[in-house]
Amino acid sequence: MIRFENVSKTYKNGTPALKDISLDIEKGEFVFLVGASGSGKTTFLRLLLREELPDQGRILEAGRDIGELPKWRVPYLRRNIGCVFQDFRLLPNKTVFENVAFALEVIGRPRTTVESQVPQILELVGLTDKSNNLPGELSGGEQQRVAVARAFVNRPLILLADEPTGNLDPANSESIMALLERINRTGTTVVMATHDKALVDRMRRRVVELDRGEMIRDQVRGVYGIDEGVTL
Amino acid sequence: MRVYLRYAVRETFSNLWRNRMMTIAAVLTVAVSLSLVGSALLLKQSAAQASAQWQQGTRVTIWMQPTATTAEIANVQSQLANLPIVKRCEFFTQQQDYNEAIKILPPSESKVLTVAAMPPSFRCVPTVPANAFTVEATFSNQPGVYQVTAPEQQIREMNHAIRVLQIVFLALAGVLLLSATVLILNTIRMAIFARRREVSVMKLVGATNWFIRIPYITEGFIQGLLGSAVAIGAVTALHTWYPLHNEFQLSMSALLGTNAVVLIVGVLIGSVGSAIAIRRFLDV
Ligand SMILES: Nc1ncnc2c1ncn2[C@@H]1O[C@H](COP(=O)(O)OP(=O)(O)OP(=O)(O)O)[C@@H](O)[C@H]1O
Ligand SMILES: [Mg+2]
Repeated sequence: MIRFENVSKTYKNGTPALKDISLDIEKGEFVFLVGASGSGKTTFLRLLLREELPDQGRILEAGRDIGELPKWRVPYLRRNIGCVFQDFRLLPNKTVFENVAFALEVIGRPRTTVESQVPQILELVGLTDKSNNLPGELSGGEQQRVAVARAFVNRPLILLADEPTGNLDPANSESIMALLERINRTGTTVVMATHDKALVDRMRRRVVELDRGEMIRDQVRGVYGIDEGVTL
Repeated sequence: MRVYLRYAVRETFSNLWRNRMMTIAAVLTVAVSLSLVGSALLLKQSAAQASAQWQQGTRVTIWMQPTATTAEIANVQSQLANLPIVKRCEFFTQQQDYNEAIKILPPSESKVLTVAAMPPSFRCVPTVPANAFTVEATFSNQPGVYQVTAPEQQIREMNHAIRVLQIVFLALAGVLLLSATVLILNTIRMAIFARRREVSVMKLVGATNWFIRIPYITEGFIQGLLGSAVAIGAVTALHTWYPLHNEFQLSMSALLGTNAVVLIVGVLIGSVGSAIAIRRFLDV
């Protein structure tokens, strides 16, 4: 589903962010991306979204080199990738329902689709009764569930999450993780960047660790701390 | 498609409403500058029409000295008869000129006139208006000739005055059009800024570039359109109630043509303003 072939990325100002990364992520996998601050996790996700292009190497998604995509095709690539961020990125003047519906409307989905899909996804994230609330009236955990609903409402093949639990307390983190797992079980590939040690340790999923742009670990049933795992 | 139309219309009008003060400023600036453009164009057309009408009846008048001898008069007359550039001439005696002057001049002035003081004259029509000058040059210094007058000079002066006025109008209009474009650009920029969250979410979920851009383009387009609508109203009103050209009625088609130009320019600056704003501030 996702393949990095000797990918390096240095930002325009000369900051090296990723160095010679090669890895394969299968369809339906759940991968944690861990590493210290500044190790290149967000850059990794931005490359997958083609918000940035690698200086060296290729990135393949569903068998296609995304670097070859013409610019006008990029939006169509992004329709297959859902995104969740630490800061939720909801529209404050739209209700929960409208926030989720917006993601379908702006890619031209007909109203009938919006009216059938949105309630269904809100049901999945357990926010049916908050449909008409504004994001400001929700707790952080609830807001993040809206963000997950928005990312998943179009049934993308890949879900990227950049520290989705970074602003949440353990209980809310737990519910977001349960949600991501559930999404993962539908066959969606999930890549999640995180600092949350306890969470990674408990989940026992594949862990990819970055250190100053280099991949220093890729472990199938990994834990957060490098000292506990088997290094590459 | 229908979904998109509904979305684009809703976005466009909510942007216009949200920035209504800026919108009004932009629309008014467009309107004022386009009114100037329209007036300049009408002025040009009426000037062209006026000089055409004047030139059709262009006459050269050769005024003889009141004391000119019969021989001198006969000499001029025979030369005129042999000049191919003169279509026809009519000789006015001192009495005829006196009668004409009495009719034209107010009594206070005509009282002092006497038949003997009047110059006899030849009223000639040249084959083409431009030949009036040649006639003037040929006869000005001949014996017994007092003065040769051709309305050509007046036409030139009028045309010159209109041209100057027109340049002033167009220069002003140019400056105002530029500021109108900048104002439109700025309203679009503010609209984009107010919607930056929406835009970033749209990019994230895979909205196409045109889907994101079109509401802003139509916003500029509508501002230009409204501005030209006001300008068309102003130009038409001016034309109807205050013609710049008292005696020379402009045709309906001239007015329609001018309004078409005003409309096109308005829509164009609206679109250009928003296109620049989108290129500079909407990074998609
Ligand atoms: N837009 C940018 N321009 C220049 N340098 C950048 C840019 N974004 C990130 N960097 C640099 O690239 C490196 C990797 O950054 P990145 O954001 O990928 O790290 P991260 O692992 O996500 O960190 P964190 O855990 O703090 O979010 C850092 O040194 C950072 O300063
Ligand atoms: Mg980061």
